[in-house]
Amino acid sequence: MTTVMMVWLTLPFFVGFSIYLLPQGDRILALLVTLVSMAFAMVLFEQPAPLSWHLLDNFGVTLMADDLSAFFILTNALVTAAVILHCWYSGKTTFFYTQAIILHGSVNAAFICADLISLYVALEVIGIAVFLLIAYPRSDRSLWVALRYLFVSNTAMLFYLMGAALVYLTNQSFSFEALEGAPVEAIALLFVGLLTKGGIFISGLWLPLTHSESETPVSALMSGVVVKAGVFPLVRIALMSEELDPIVRIFGAGTALLGVAYAMFEKDTKRMLAFHTVSQMGFVLAAPEVGGFYALTHGLVKAALFLTAGALPSRSFKELHNQPIHTPIWIALVIASFSISGFPLLSGFGAKVLTMKNLLPWQVIAMNMAALGTAISFAKFIFLPHGPAKEQLVKRGFWPAVLLLLAGLVVANVAYYDAYSLANIAKPLAIIALGWLVYLLIIQRMVVKLPRVLEEFEHLIGVMSVMLMVLFGMVLA
Amino acid sequence: MLYACVYATILLGFFGILLKENLVMKIIAMDVMSTGVIALFVLVAARGGTYTPILSGAPSIAYADPVPQAVILTAIVIGFSIQALMLVAVMKLARDNPTLETRAIEEEYRP
Repeated sequence: MTTVMMVWLTLPFFVGFSIYLLPQGDRILALLVTLVSMAFAMVLFEQPAPLSWHLLDNFGVTLMADDLSAFFILTNALVTAAVILHCWYSGKTTFFYTQAIILHGSVNAAFICADLISLYVALEVIGIAVFLLIAYPRSDRSLWVALRYLFVSNTAMLFYLMGAALVYLTNQSFSFEALEGAPVEAIALLFVGLLTKGGIFISGLWLPLTHSESETPVSALMSGVVVKAGVFPLVRIALMSEELDPIVRIFGAGTALLGVAYAMFEKDTKRMLAFHTVSQMGFVLAAPEVGGFYALTHGLVKAALFLTAGALPSRSFKELHNQPIHTPIWIALVIASFSISGFPLLSGFGAKVLTMKNLLPWQVIAMNMAALGTAISFAKFIFLPHGPAKEQLVKRGFWPAVLLLLAGLVVANVAYYDAYSLANIAKPLAIIALGWLVYLLIIQRMVVKLPRVLEEFEHLIGVMSVMLMVLFGMVLA
Repeated sequence: MLYACVYATILLGFFGILLKENLVMKIIAMDVMSTGVIALFVLVAARGGTYTPILSGAPSIAYADPVPQAVILTAIVIGFSIQALMLVAVMKLARDNPTLETRAIEEEYRP
């Protein structure tokens, strides 16, 4: 089994570079890699015990793959496959597919790492690949967005590396287990890195601009899987360490509320979706035991939403109200919006029920508020006018991609079909109804412009030092 | 004492990223910060001794710990490739924004 794991892990990098030698087969090769990942995730679900692997002796690379990794790997495979299908006829060069597949491989690597340094390497490779993908159009604006991303991510990773050094200093090991009993400052530094990389709470405010200003497929890839590479280690750490679990949960609740508060008043479709990524990552962290399933549904739904939002005639909600959208596109949009609000029949429902069941008592109110906010902000999509529009061109390749993701949402229901009980169904329906009511009565008429000060570049870096202090206090307490 | 110097380097680099206006200066400040982190690893490795760890029949002396050194080698390579990538991006940006002031660039490309 470990041989299979090795082959699967190295395949994307091998294919990524050989795509250059076979430029005609770039799309097919890229798609094949995602199929292999999908198959591997399925095999992983069947494994009775977690697979773990030590390279060299106890100082070498350690890998561990279990059910949790399988959920994340499956998300990665499905989202990457959808993005490749979406770009199938768009005439993207081989370079794009090379980067997409290398990104796929490094995200996979991040999902099975069990030591701090392999994780560091995986996260840095992700940073570089994402930079190249954002900068793909070569416009000055995309270059600036990419540069800003790389800057924030690299500074965060320097803090992370410092933390890793301090962990080694106390326990002579880089494995996740060594975090137990590590000094306060080491944990604070590691968390700053991971929280920033995963787009959590105020250290994740780099995310809205980056995700909304990139090209549609790249946004889908970033919101769907790339942020999860930062979130996954946090989930892992929370599951392994009793004392760090509350911290992760607090950040989960905090980011869920913060993201949703911004999203409710956002007037731009892609920015709203990006803020929702900040918020939904909170749901993953709020209940680490079941975070894997939530991450899967979120990845599918957010990629579908970004791809659909890219097919709309405008990005502003105001203009969309005067411009009916083509009915099939509207239906796709509504299915995805229903799933993320937790409507039964779609797997977003099962994920939300499961998360709510695993919350600690103090989290319940915050997470229900966040769920209500989600329903309110997605009412903006649901109540858009639609009609048999005149000649709206959808890119070829749009429908296969979106259908794959939506089918995934329906099929993923099997993971937790126990959710379908009367009490479980009634609650999300009540939340959604209340959300729509609030939207129609209040939010729709309100014009609130939230300040974007915190999203400025210097503040993003400054916030890291603030977060460092906050985390220091939290770990100490 | 050495630890204090290393932390001071890291902190200075961080404040450079925060306070310098010019993008190239910011990148250089980040380099200073990463130099600090590398020095921290070297210092951690030198905890038990400073001799190069080479396997031989010689009597055992106080060796440096090879693990952090091996790890930081990877990090150095990653750090310099990121720096190279950033400088290329800055070169392209400089064509239209010759002053390279972060605030001006940010204003210009805001949605």
